Amino acid sequence: MSAYNNEHFRNLVLPDRVHRSIYIDPQIFEIELDKIFGRTWVFVGHDSQVPNAGDYYCTSIGRQPIVLSRGEHGKVHVLYNRCGHRGAKVLSGVRGNQRIFTCMYHGWGFHPDGSRAGVPMLRDFPTGLLDDPQFGMAPLARVENYRGFVFACQDPSVMPLKEYLGEAIRGIDEMVDRAPDGEVEFWAGCHRYTFRGNWKLQMDNMADTYHPAACHASTVGPDGRQFQRRAGAEGGAAPFFAPNGEAVVSQLGVRGFRNGHSSEQSLFDKEQRGGDIEEYRAIMVAKFGEERTAEIMKNRRHSLTLFPTTDILMAQTSVRIVKPIAVDLTEVEIWPVRLKGAPEKISNDLVKFVNITHSASSFIQTDDLEAFERCQQGLQTQGTDWVLLARGIGAEIDEGNGVMFGPRSSEVGMRAKHQMWRDLMCA
Amino acid sequence: MSTATLMKQATQPALTIEVLRDFIEHEAELLDEQRFDDWAALFSEDAVYWAPAARDQANWLNHVSLFYDDKHTMKTRIQRLNHPMIHCQDPRSTCVRVLSNFKLEWVAEDGSEYRVRSKFLMLEDRPGAERRFFGGRLTHTLRRSDNGLQIVLKKVALTNCDQAFPMLTQPF
Repeated sequence: MSAYNNEHFRNLVLPDRVHRSIYIDPQIFEIELDKIFGRTWVFVGHDSQVPNAGDYYCTSIGRQPIVLSRGEHGKVHVLYNRCGHRGAKVLSGVRGNQRIFTCMYHGWGFHPDGSRAGVPMLRDFPTGLLDDPQFGMAPLARVENYRGFVFACQDPSVMPLKEYLGEAIRGIDEMVDRAPDGEVEFWAGCHRYTFRGNWKLQMDNMADTYHPAACHASTVGPDGRQFQRRAGAEGGAAPFFAPNGEAVVSQLGVRGFRNGHSSEQSLFDKEQRGGDIEEYRAIMVAKFGEERTAEIMKNRRHSLTLFPTTDILMAQTSVRIVKPIAVDLTEVEIWPVRLKGAPEKISNDLVKFVNITHSASSFIQTDDLEAFERCQQGLQTQGTDWVLLARGIGAEIDEGNGVMFGPRSSEVGMRAKHQMWRDLMCA
Repeated sequence: MSTATLMKQATQPALTIEVLRDFIEHEAELLDEQRFDDWAALFSEDAVYWAPAARDQANWLNHVSLFYDDKHTMKTRIQRLNHPMIHCQDPRSTCVRVLSNFKLEWVAEDGSEYRVRSKFLMLEDRPGAERRFFGGRLTHTLRRSDNGLQIVLKKVALTNCDQAFPMLTQPF
């Protein structure tokens, strides 16, 4: 393991490039599971996935099965999905409701907060031994809920969630503020797609406004516009090319945030209007006034990505969760959200459009997946060790509070992610 | 559709399962041959091509779907499938669909609409990618029109519809 010391990791991430081994080396992936996914705040799920006491939702962090659950007093818990006795995964399937989570192996039962509820023939165990919480379903060290978004961290010494998110917390605010009732729900299931590639390829892509002209050329119709990707008569389909021949999206900027978060500017210049949007907008105006509504509905960002693996998709009003499975295998979930208090038609349209933008069969995602898999293959080659992130380097504008803006599809967002990666891997 | 046409249809003998099966097998053949424009032409203007993403999914409004294409979306999908820069089809997939167990589930009283169930298996090969195998139940709602049969709804219920998928480029 001597090759994998701090100096080694420092040399893998340079200001304008990263070493290909961070995408293809299985040993680096193993270290990431500990140093990245074991030590940062990871988005686990939304509290609307477990609305009632006894509800549970099974998910994972790296290879570890975990459970999001709702306790008797309404509190949301995040537990390791493992019996404190012999280690069997307690809850199978995806979701359900049980007053007591019961292990199928020896019948041990646990409350939704992970504490012991019952053990068959308890008196034959040493007295008091099983009172230790680690012999229940152990909770993750830290759990915080921000406006329904539940994050967990396995490291008890991690900084508070709000400090970790910094300015990037606005991504959650901007999405939740679009709900007339100030709350969103995960309500329509999720898309799940996989690719034979490293998880960071997907994360890099979310701070990449440079690729669409080539990668997504097939999404541009004869009228020069990309297909309509969200509802409404205005602000649904954007012209793809500027008069000078450059892709409009690539003329837009990217932001890199402290702690590895990033965001992309919106490709829409017009507010969504027309059709059912007007009814929704009227509800917003009645509640918040015209000025504040215009502020909320403004197209600020295409997406905002939280390090390490969460993406707030503003353009599609959805949340993306990236799950590393192996060094060259990644699973991704896309959850369209419901804006509580908005007309049902609005939420139905969000579901409809995300089917064609981000599902496994969608017009956009399929070519991204092709790109990720080709990267994983191309990065096996030994002619060049470096992967460039040099676009726009030196042209960043410091906006304060740890935010760097890079115009014209700058790779500043990717640089922010990889610098955070390096700092964590060296810690 | 004129009253005369409707009257004419009402007096026509109902279509047999053999005729309906031939039509559905022809549809699968067009997909195997990647004649996507001809395939789309089989669908009525109000048609929906739907592959749910959950077992027992009631509709496409309040749950995500693997595919939910109205005619407009279907045309956009095909425009892209025919586009020279669709990278995820370079190289292209080759598919074969095998259909079986046809059952006539429902006929409208006037013989103008039919619902047919069948089972299918589909093999997809693409150079450089792992061989892929899909299977499930198909439900076709077909309408008799002046131009012959049209698909009003094609529902594809995959056995693994609620799992994670690598890219899906080929309609089932």
